[in-house]
Amino acid sequence: MDPAVTRILVESTVKIALFFFVVLTVIAYMTWVERRVSAWIQDRRGPNRVGPFGLLQPLADGIKFLFKEAIVPPHVYRPVYLMAPALIFIPSMITLAVVPIGPAVSLFGRRIALQVADVDNGILIILAFASMGVYGIALAGWSSQNKYSLMGGLRSSAQLISYELAMGITIVGVLMATGSLRLNDIVTHQMEHGWNVLYQLPGFLIFLTAAFAESNRLPFDLPEAETELVAGYHTEYSGMRFSMFFMAEYANMITGSALATTLYFGGYHVPGLAALGLSETAAALVQVLAFCLKVAFFLFVFVWVRWTLPRFRYDQLMNLGWKALLPVALLHLLWVSFLVLTGRG
Amino acid sequence: MMERDVVVRLLLRLIMVVVAYAVIRILAPARTLLAGAALGAGALALVALNPGALASVEFWAGLVGFAAILSALMIVIHPNPMVSVLFLIVNLFCVALFYLFLNAQFLAAIQIIIYAGAIMVLFLFVVMLLNLKAEEGLTARGGPQRYGAIVLGGLFAGLLFDAILHRGPQPYFDPGTFASGFGTARELGGLLFTRYLFAFEAASLLLIAAMIGAVVLAKRRLR
Repeated sequence: MDPAVTRILVESTVKIALFFFVVLTVIAYMTWVERRVSAWIQDRRGPNRVGPFGLLQPLADGIKFLFKEAIVPPHVYRPVYLMAPALIFIPSMITLAVVPIGPAVSLFGRRIALQVADVDNGILIILAFASMGVYGIALAGWSSQNKYSLMGGLRSSAQLISYELAMGITIVGVLMATGSLRLNDIVTHQMEHGWNVLYQLPGFLIFLTAAFAESNRLPFDLPEAETELVAGYHTEYSGMRFSMFFMAEYANMITGSALATTLYFGGYHVPGLAALGLSETAAALVQVLAFCLKVAFFLFVFVWVRWTLPRFRYDQLMNLGWKALLPVALLHLLWVSFLVLTGRG
Repeated sequence: MMERDVVVRLLLRLIMVVVAYAVIRILAPARTLLAGAALGAGALALVALNPGALASVEFWAGLVGFAAILSALMIVIHPNPMVSVLFLIVNLFCVALFYLFLNAQFLAAIQIIIYAGAIMVLFLFVVMLLNLKAEEGLTARGGPQRYGAIVLGGLFAGLLFDAILHRGPQPYFDPGTFASGFGTARELGGLLFTRYLFAFEAASLLLIAAMIGAVVLAKRRLR
């Protein structure tokens, strides 16, 4: 094989392996953070028995899930039932793969971009795979052959479609300000002109709301509203398969946070870093750290909101999506195009 | 570039694998594992034919073409309408990959967003809510139409075989050379708003008319 091809293959493989390791670890520890923060908010202690501060709790949970009996109920439609959990998880991982976590650095004598895939159509990939998430949930609900699961699946499909629209329109605003579909260009543009959130605050708020809806978390967890639907689309799942849904939810949170950071909060940009005169590698390290901190902040916001707000009623959810977020997003798009035309975007 | 004979052999093998898969599926619809094994063996045989092909575009285009044919076949022969919808999604993904091979990256992304993402969700909803039984697809035999379908299908298959066997000397799959920037959103947008402005506006007018029409029709009874 061509040595250049081999190099690209090796580089990508290493990146993908690292990517999976980091994301899965973060997912595991998000469950711990979620439980500790919720306990803090509700004035409880939370998991604190396994290891110092309960830090080994995710490990214990993982082992428990692995050794649980994985029951496949006899009435399910087997192939689709088995496939559905992966179908939720994969799109959010693909979306995350196009997000840059730092500037390109020189390592081992080569320029290495700190992202899994530097795609020209980054934003389109995000939109494409954000819309793929519907299938996993809808199919999990359908293949369970259970009316509660089906209701949960249908609700969530309707919810995801409604909120994707608003999300897409706000992302178009970012796109117009930058004039490029590449996420790296969007970050660079924000370095030069200031973060997008300064110009497009309503857009950011709509995006964040839609990201909450995308990840099916409170206040938008209608698909699994346990008081109405037992557990919605994952009622019939158990063991590791059930935990796949759980992991997908956290993966969606991470994706939402990373996108909010990249699109509106300057990505890995640290204001005033150039004035410090650090070496390239050190500067890159600081920027990666900054990116992680920004993402961590948004992850905290996700947890915070979940344990603060009650669940919406279904009609409220639909009204908010179609009669509030969508028109506001369209108006906001008009405003952004005005800004861009007059050269202030 | 691969030799012409190799390509013909490859295509024939593909067709054989597809036929074997279809036969297994029709004779024993429950044997998913067996069909999967046959598929895996077929794919291995294809790689064993020419290991160096792994780095060539032709090989991957052939593989995606294989997946496209297979999924298209499964849409028709699978007894469960829901699974047919899923295979249609797979098929649309294959088409998106073909766009990628042809350097039309913007079109590929749009194909996934519009077809695989938006339109297929609608299909999924309709099938879910109609609650079609798996057997209905198999019991509806279609009467005399069936014979016409067999004859026309046979003719079409003959045409395809003829096209494969008597193709010209040009390479089987030629992505060609493109100017830099070909197929990007910028290029496409420029063309849409200059050279094809009229067609673009006419299409959008048509879509708006269809949308308004759909709303009016759906709300007629509520008045």
